[in-house]
Amino acid sequence: MAEEIINMPNYKQLCLDVLNSDEHIRFVGFVNNKSEILHSAQRNNVDSLLSDQEIKMSVHYTLERWRKAQNFTFRLGKERLTLTEYDIVTLVTIPFKGELLLVSTEPQSHYDSIIEKINSILANWEKI
Amino acid sequence: MENGTITYTQLLREDLGIFRVTPDNGVPDFKAGQFLTLGLPLESKIINRAYSIASSPENKNFFEFVIRWVKRPIPGRLTSLLFNAKEGDKISWAKPTGSLTINDTLPNGEKDTRRIICIGGGTGIAPFVSFAQHLHNIQDKREVVVLHGASYVDELSYKQLLTDLENESIDKGNDKWNFKYRAAISRPQEWTNRSWNGHRGRIEQFLRYDDAGKSPLEKLVGEKITKDNTIFYVCGWQGTIDGTLDYLSTKNFVTERNKRKDGSYEVKFESYG
Repeated sequence: MAEEIINMPNYKQLCLDVLNSDEHIRFVGFVNNKSEILHSAQRNNVDSLLSDQEIKMSVHYTLERWRKAQNFTFRLGKERLTLTEYDIVTLVTIPFKGELLLVSTEPQSHYDSIIEKINSILANWEKI
Repeated sequence: MENGTITYTQLLREDLGIFRVTPDNGVPDFKAGQFLTLGLPLESKIINRAYSIASSPENKNFFEFVIRWVKRPIPGRLTSLLFNAKEGDKISWAKPTGSLTINDTLPNGEKDTRRIICIGGGTGIAPFVSFAQHLHNIQDKREVVVLHGASYVDELSYKQLLTDLENESIDKGNDKWNFKYRAAISRPQEWTNRSWNGHRGRIEQFLRYDDAGKSPLEKLVGEKITKDNTIFYVCGWQGTIDGTLDYLSTKNFVTERNKRKDGSYEVKFESYG
């Protein structure tokens, strides 16, 4: 029986690349569609804003939103990113190779620049 | 096609609902486990799809269905119409049919007294909700086990009804009504399922033998499952069917489609999707 060969990205390195791409990024993580965090990285000296249970809840809400957004794919094309701005943090999600990249940044950062850097990193990893 | 009215809708999730259809001229005779073709108009055409009936043949007030709204890759035409429909809307239906029905006799004409194990994946639980209610209504004495697999706890569409039937079995005693219900959640790590304390994994894993050579199902019924004491009924996605048959085929269980020369078999199944 033939086995499917799946090239998994090096999520550890990818998380570090994204985290180090901009000083305003607090957290980077990859989550699959089963709510499993494949890898995550957090900036040193930054306290987590959510408890472990709240992180699970946040991942769940993020995936739910992603799944629902996909219901419009047949009309609007693929969802490319979402941006949620809270008072004290901004959350960015970007689909990548069937998983979801979660990024949190300091509030009122220059998102365009941050997203541009992230997309550039992802584009390079897409080629691997 | 006959005419009827959607008389009850209950959304369990955005994409999962219970629907009742009351025929204009009454519910016809049918067998537990059969399905019905429903039809709704779209752009001067009638869109028809078949759905397993969850209500029992003794219920002459309405047909009941548990239906998932097909969303991807493109929204399903009939399910989108159905999920947009309101109580009171008209709907057409064609007569019940299907062969996933309860065997009452063996090929040799003797009464079939084997234990009945029903394995339903997702909305594949529907025919077995009909089975359970029917067997209860006719006071059947066979042991009945209903196993339901789902990804999320809010997809356990008939948990209350099936739990009530098991509680009644405990209260009355197995000699009067012998019924067990268990569910499995395949994504227990997800936040939605945080309160789940039951079986984790795919529903067919109830058949998997542990190191001591016993399956969870055998522990549940208290004896070894053999082709002589048990018949399996399976309904769900092809993956559920294949997973179940993988376990059963190693124990020499045979499906109705590949029955032996003497007509005997121990597995009936119906797949969808």
